[in-house]
Amino acid sequence: MGIDPADKKLPQPEDLDPMTDEVLHRAFAGESQAAEKYLVFAEQAEEEGFPNIGRLFRAISFAETRHARNHLRVMRGIDSTAGNLLVAFEGESFEIDEMYPAYRQIARTQKNHQAVRSTSYAMKAEVDHKSMYADARERALAGRDIDDLPVSVCLICGHTVIGDVPDKCPVCAAAKEQYRTFT
Amino acid sequence: MPQPFMNTPPKPEKLGAMTAGFLQEAFAGESQASQKYLAFAARAADEGLPNVARLFEAVAYAESTHARNHLSVLGGIGDSSENLKAAFGGETFEIDQMYPAYDAVAELQGAKEARTSIRYAKSAEQDHQALYEATRTTVQTGEDMVAETINVCPICGHTVIGDAPGECPVCGTAGQFFRAF
Repeated sequence: MGIDPADKKLPQPEDLDPMTDEVLHRAFAGESQAAEKYLVFAEQAEEEGFPNIGRLFRAISFAETRHARNHLRVMRGIDSTAGNLLVAFEGESFEIDEMYPAYRQIARTQKNHQAVRSTSYAMKAEVDHKSMYADARERALAGRDIDDLPVSVCLICGHTVIGDVPDKCPVCAAAKEQYRTFT
Repeated sequence: MPQPFMNTPPKPEKLGAMTAGFLQEAFAGESQASQKYLAFAARAADEGLPNVARLFEAVAYAESTHARNHLSVLGGIGDSSENLKAAFGGETFEIDQMYPAYDAVAELQGAKEARTSIRYAKSAEQDHQALYEATRTTVQTGEDMVAETINVCPICGHTVIGDAPGECPVCGTAGQFFRAF
């Protein structure tokens, strides 16, 4: 059974003064990064043969996602799905057009090859995401869901594909076994 | 038959200061995108758009792989003992510095809902700090922690080892809604 979004215990959107808005943005950034770190730390613990510590990191990561969501709600960061798809589309566009080209250029200048790889992987996947969000937004604006198809993600580079998984990842050449499928 | 190519994530390397700075920002950006998309997925599911919800969930996972890659290059992934120390340090900073300062600003500006959101987070970080500290002591002797279910409140993030309580001591949510790991 899910949580009712109108649940009074959930912090509600409110009008914020600029400083409170700023600190909540920072708190959202902090919680988001903690959640991601703990997921990676969970994988590391599992590789070391500590499955119970892996579970602890996963559970606390989930707790941090609840805090991130609460802060985002209060800041009015959650809109209708059509609105959310626009925000997502614009975020991907910024990363593709501005952020990653600049970051990758710095990494190239400083000859940091692994950083070039990490930024290139991300930038290429964001191109997939941008077009998927654009298509989905058109549907959502017409009041329709997108087609009922699996979505698969390369667990090395994040390459994202709707429908069949390729034999190997076109971005990083990982085998199809290295995809995670959302059904 | 040729073996499928098993790729590996980008590896830690010695970074120029500018590259390290921007990679930290990229890690922050990917982490926030991932969390946003998870919240957007929940909203799409509420609106009866399960396939859009799946798209958001899958893309959130893709952003997680990017966050992990950046963190790996930054040298941010240690062994579990080091990771538990880093996690403990992060929670301690949030409890002692970040959330008290943020709450003071929200109180000054009369932002009631922001204070609730901050209070929920700070309270759960205290659970996490204690859990990480106890676990690190265990790991340093080369042992895993005891196998027990961990329950998390879906509203405030309150975290307990073992059974969920009848109701959440922080926000009052019924124990049946807790997510069990």
